[in-house]
Amino acid sequence: MFELINTLLIGITAGSIYSLMAISIVLVWRSTRVVNFAAGGLALASSFVGAAILEKTGSFWIALPLAMVAGAIFSAFIEYFFLRPLLKRSGDQGAEIFLPIIATLGLLGIIKTILNYIYGDRIGALPPPLPDKGFVVSGESIALSPMRLLILGIVLLLMISLTLIFQRTNLGLSLRASSFAPEISRLAGIRVDFIRTVGWAISGAAGATAGILQTTNGSGSVSPESFEFSLLLVFGFVAAVIGGIESLVGAVLGGLTLGIILAIILMYVGGSLVFIAAFLILILVLLLRPQGIIGAKGGRRA
Amino acid sequence: MIRTTRRKFLVASAVMAATALSLSVMPAQAFSPRSEVGVTSTAIKLGITLPMKGSASYGYNQLPGAMKAYFDYVNANGGVNGRKISLVVKDDGYLPKQAIQNTQDLIGKDKVMAVIGALGTANNKAVASAVNLGRRGIPSLFINTGFSGFNDRKAFPTSSTLLPSYIMEAKMMSKYVKETYPGKKTCMLYQDDDFGDDALVGFDKTHGDLDFAVKVAYPSLSQGVAGVPDSWITKFKAGGCEVQIVFGVASATLYTVLAAVKAQYAPKWILGSVGADIGSINPATVPYIIGSTSMSFMPSVVDPKDAYVTQFKEINTKYNVGAKFNSWALIGMNTAFIAVQALKAAGKNPTRKSLLAAIDASGSTFPNAALVPLNYSKTSNVGLNGYWFGTFNKTGDLVPNDTFTYTVYTTDSGTGPVEKSSYSRPAMPAKGLPN
Amino acid sequence: MGVVHKRHVTNKHRFIGFVLIGLLVYILSNTVDEWKSFQGATIAVYVVAIASIILLTGYSGQISLGHGALLAIGAYTAALTQIYLHLPVWICFVAAVLVTSLFGALLGSAAARLSGPYLAGTTLALAVGLPSIANQFSFLGGEQGISFDAGWPPLSFGEAFTQYKWFFWITSLAALIMMWWIQNLLRSRYGRTWRAVKTNEVAAELAGIHLARSKVLAFTVSAGIAGMAGALLAATINNVSPSAFPLALSFSLATGAVLSGVNTLGGVMIGAVALVAIPEIASLVADRWSGSESVASLLPDFIVSALLILTVFLAPKGPIEKFWSRHVK
Repeated sequence: MFELINTLLIGITAGSIYSLMAISIVLVWRSTRVVNFAAGGLALASSFVGAAILEKTGSFWIALPLAMVAGAIFSAFIEYFFLRPLLKRSGDQGAEIFLPIIATLGLLGIIKTILNYIYGDRIGALPPPLPDKGFVVSGESIALSPMRLLILGIVLLLMISLTLIFQRTNLGLSLRASSFAPEISRLAGIRVDFIRTVGWAISGAAGATAGILQTTNGSGSVSPESFEFSLLLVFGFVAAVIGGIESLVGAVLGGLTLGIILAIILMYVGGSLVFIAAFLILILVLLLRPQGIIGAKGGRRA
Repeated sequence: MIRTTRRKFLVASAVMAATALSLSVMPAQAFSPRSEVGVTSTAIKLGITLPMKGSASYGYNQLPGAMKAYFDYVNANGGVNGRKISLVVKDDGYLPKQAIQNTQDLIGKDKVMAVIGALGTANNKAVASAVNLGRRGIPSLFINTGFSGFNDRKAFPTSSTLLPSYIMEAKMMSKYVKETYPGKKTCMLYQDDDFGDDALVGFDKTHGDLDFAVKVAYPSLSQGVAGVPDSWITKFKAGGCEVQIVFGVASATLYTVLAAVKAQYAPKWILGSVGADIGSINPATVPYIIGSTSMSFMPSVVDPKDAYVTQFKEINTKYNVGAKFNSWALIGMNTAFIAVQALKAAGKNPTRKSLLAAIDASGSTFPNAALVPLNYSKTSNVGLNGYWFGTFNKTGDLVPNDTFTYTVYTTDSGTGPVEKSSYSRPAMPAKGLPN
Repeated sequence: MGVVHKRHVTNKHRFIGFVLIGLLVYILSNTVDEWKSFQGATIAVYVVAIASIILLTGYSGQISLGHGALLAIGAYTAALTQIYLHLPVWICFVAAVLVTSLFGALLGSAAARLSGPYLAGTTLALAVGLPSIANQFSFLGGEQGISFDAGWPPLSFGEAFTQYKWFFWITSLAALIMMWWIQNLLRSRYGRTWRAVKTNEVAAELAGIHLARSKVLAFTVSAGIAGMAGALLAATINNVSPSAFPLALSFSLATGAVLSGVNTLGGVMIGAVALVAIPEIASLVADRWSGSESVASLLPDFIVSALLILTVFLAPKGPIEKFWSRHVK
C-alpha cells in the first residue's frame, strides 16, 4: 500500500514539473504557433542564473523569482530578435511549422554551446531550500517532504495565477484574442506583436521555474550538458501534446498523467521501458483523441 | 522550371566535384610508414576517450587533467628519451557509439600511437570489436574498467585493463558483507550492462555466494530521469533492506544517496569502488556517506605518509592548477605514471609492437601507487587484483582507519579464495620520475 | 509540367549523371587516405538519410523529428538478420529496408491522422524511446550493442585496399542506387500525388486523391530509405547500439535536410557534406586561432546551430532554390 502511495506521490511530483514545462510550450504555441524547442535551453540558462544568484545571496527565495525574470527576458529576447522576423518573412500562415521548429532547434544548440563555454564542466548548485526528508506516517516515511509540497505549491500557484490572468485581466483577454484572431485583434487596437512577446515572456518564466524545481528535486546541481534537461524538454512537450497543446489545464493534466504512468512503469515494470512508454502513452492518447485530452474542438479556451 | 532541374543536377555534381577536390588535395597517408604512427623524434602522441560532459561524466572528467599534469611534469624534466608526451582528449558522453567514433578519430585523424585510460565497459567492448583494434595492432592500454571479459587475450590482443575485475570486487564484497553483517537483509543496485553482469557473476553461488533480498538493475543514463532514483529506493525500502550495495557509476551512486535521504532510508551503505567518491562531486552528500563502506586499490588521498600520494599531490598543485587532489586525480596521475614507464620500457624508438611487448614483459614490475600488483604478462592483460576496505571520514574521503594501515585482500576472477595480499609495493622513484 | 520535363532532361541524361558521380567517387576512393574514405562513407550514409527526410517533409508535407529511430530499426534488422539467419550482407540491407518500411507503414497510419505539432511530438517521443528498448531484451545486446560486419574487401583487391575504402564503395553504391530510385519515384504518379497533397490538401482530395493513403505511402517509403541509411550506418561503424541513435542524430538529420533545402532533392549533398565537414573546419579554425580545447569542442555545435538559423532566415527553401530564384527569374 505504501509502495503504491509512494509511487503515486513520486509520479505527481515529477509530473507537476513536466506540467510547468508543458505550460511553457503551450504558451508559446498559443501565441505564435511555434513549437519551441529552445524552451529547454532557456530553462537551463535560467537555472544557471538561479544557481549564480543563490551562490551570491544564499537565498532560494530571491533566486527563484529572479531566475523567473531572467527566463522571461531570455524568452522575450528570442521572440523579438529571432522568431518575430522569421514569422514575418514566412507570412503568418503557420502552415510551414517545420522551419520555426528548426530555428528553435538551432537556438537550443546555440544556448547550450554558450553555457558550455561559460561553465565548461563546472556545475551550478541548487540544493533544496526546505527539508527533503519525507513525512513519517504511522512509522513509514512517505515520498512527500516539505520540499515536494513546495514544488506542488509553486505549480498550483502558477496555474491559478495564469488562469486568473487569462480569465480576469485585460492582458489575458488580449493574449487570448491575439492568438485566436490576430487580424481582428489588430483592428480592435490590440498591439498583437507586443502581446505575443508577453506570451513568450510568461512562457520563459514558467520554463525557468520548471528548470529550477527539476534541479532541486533531482541531483541538486545543473550542468550545461544535462541529460535531465533534454528529458524535461521532451517530456514537457509530450505532456503538452497529450493535453491538446492549446490548453493550460490540458498541459497540467498531460504532465500529471505522464508523470504518474511513468512512475508506475518504473516501479512495477522496469526502468528500460520508461522512454518508450512516453511514446506509447502519447500515441494511444492521440489515436483515441487526436486533439489531445482537452481537445480544441470546442474552440480555443484559456 | 526545365532549366532549373537540369541545373540542380549540375549544382549537385559541382558540389560533389568540389568536395572531391578539397578532399584529394590533402596529402594521402603512406600505407606502411617508416616511423611508428604517433611517434616522432621529439614527441609521442597518446589519446583518450571518456565522458567529459553530461551526468555520467561526474568525477571521471577529472582524469585527463591529472594525466596531462603528470605528462607535463615529465616533459618539463626531459620527457621520455627526449620525446614530449601529449594527450588528445575526446568526450564520448559515456555512449558506445561516440566512443567508437572518437577512437576512429584518434587513430585516423589525430594519429595517436596508443589509446590510454579509456573508460567504460560497454564503450570499450564496442570499440574493441568495431574498430578492430586487435587486427590493426593498435594498443588500448590501462582501460578504466574491471570487466573480466577483457581477459581474453585472443579476442582483445592489444587491450589491457587497469581496474581489478568486477568479479573480484563482488567476491570480496560478498565476503565482507557475510562477515560484517551476518544474517542482515542485503540489497543491490547495479548497472544493466556488462558492468553489472560481471558483478552478478561475482556474487553468484559459485563465487561470492551472497543472497540479495532485492536487486534493481538500472539502464545506463536512466538515473537522470526524474523519479527513477526514488523508485529504486521505494523498492529497497519495501524489501526491508538493511545493507545496501551500490554497484554503479558515480552519478548513479550520487542519485541513490540523495533519493535515500528524501525517503529516510538509512541502510548500511556499501559503495562500489567505481562510483564511490561522490563527496568530491557534490559536497552536499558528504554528511550522508560518513561512516559508509567502500573499497579501493589506491592509498587514501588524505594519507599523510604515503610517498606516492605526497609526490602526486605536489605535481597536481603545480601542473593541474585549481584542480582538487581527489581519488580521480590520483588514479589519473597513476595511469600516466604507468604509461611513462611502459613507453620507457618500449625502447629508444618505441613502436606499437614494442610497447605492447614491454608491458607483457615487465608490466608487472612497474612501480605505481596501487597497493596491489599489476598483473600484466604474456597471458594476462588484467592489471590490478585486489582491494582494501575503508570508511568515509568527516571530509568525505575514504580512509582505512585513523592510522592509515591498510589490510589488502586479493583474489582472482575465477572461483579462487579471497586472501590477504602479501604484496609489498616498490618505492616511489626519486622525484616521481621513473628511470 | 512533368511531361515537359521528360522531353528535356531524359532518363538517359540522368543516368549519365549518376554514372559520372559514381566514377568520381571511384577516382576519389583511390586518391584519399583511410580517414577520408571513412568520411566519404559517412557522407554517403547521410545522403540517404537526409533524402528520406526530404521525401517525407519536402514532397509530402509531413514532419518527422524521429528519423533516428527509423535508422535504428534498419540497423538492428540488418544486424539481427546477419547474426541469427547468417544471410549475406546484401540480403541484410534488403531486410532492413523491408522491415523499416513495414514499421513506417504502421507509424504512417497513425501519423496520417495527426497534424503539425502532434506529429512532431509523436516522432520526437519515438526518437527518444525506441533505441532504449535494446536494454530490455538481451538479444538486442544492451548498451554495448551487437556487431554488424559488412565484411572485408575481397583479397583480390590487394593488401592496400583498406576496410574503410571498402565501406566507402559499399555506401556510395547504395546511395547512388537509392537516389536513382527516389528520382524515378518522384517523377512517377506517386510523386505527383504527394506534391498535389502538399500543395493543397482540399484540392487534391477533390481531384480524387485518397489523402490518408497517399500520406501513409510517403511515410512507408521514407521509412524504407531511412532503414537503408541505418543499415549503412551500422556497417560503417561495425556495430549497432542504442547510443548510435540519440535524439541528437534525429536533430542533425533534420538539420541536414534544412541545409540541403527541404523542398528539393537536388541539394542533398550539401547537407551531408556540411554535417561531416563542419566539425573538421571547426577544429582547424580552433587549432589555428585559439588552441583552446573547450573552443575546439564547442565550435562545431555552434557553427551547425548558427548555420541552421541563417539558413532558415536567408534561404528557407534551401540554398539551391535560393540561388536559382536569384538568377533565373
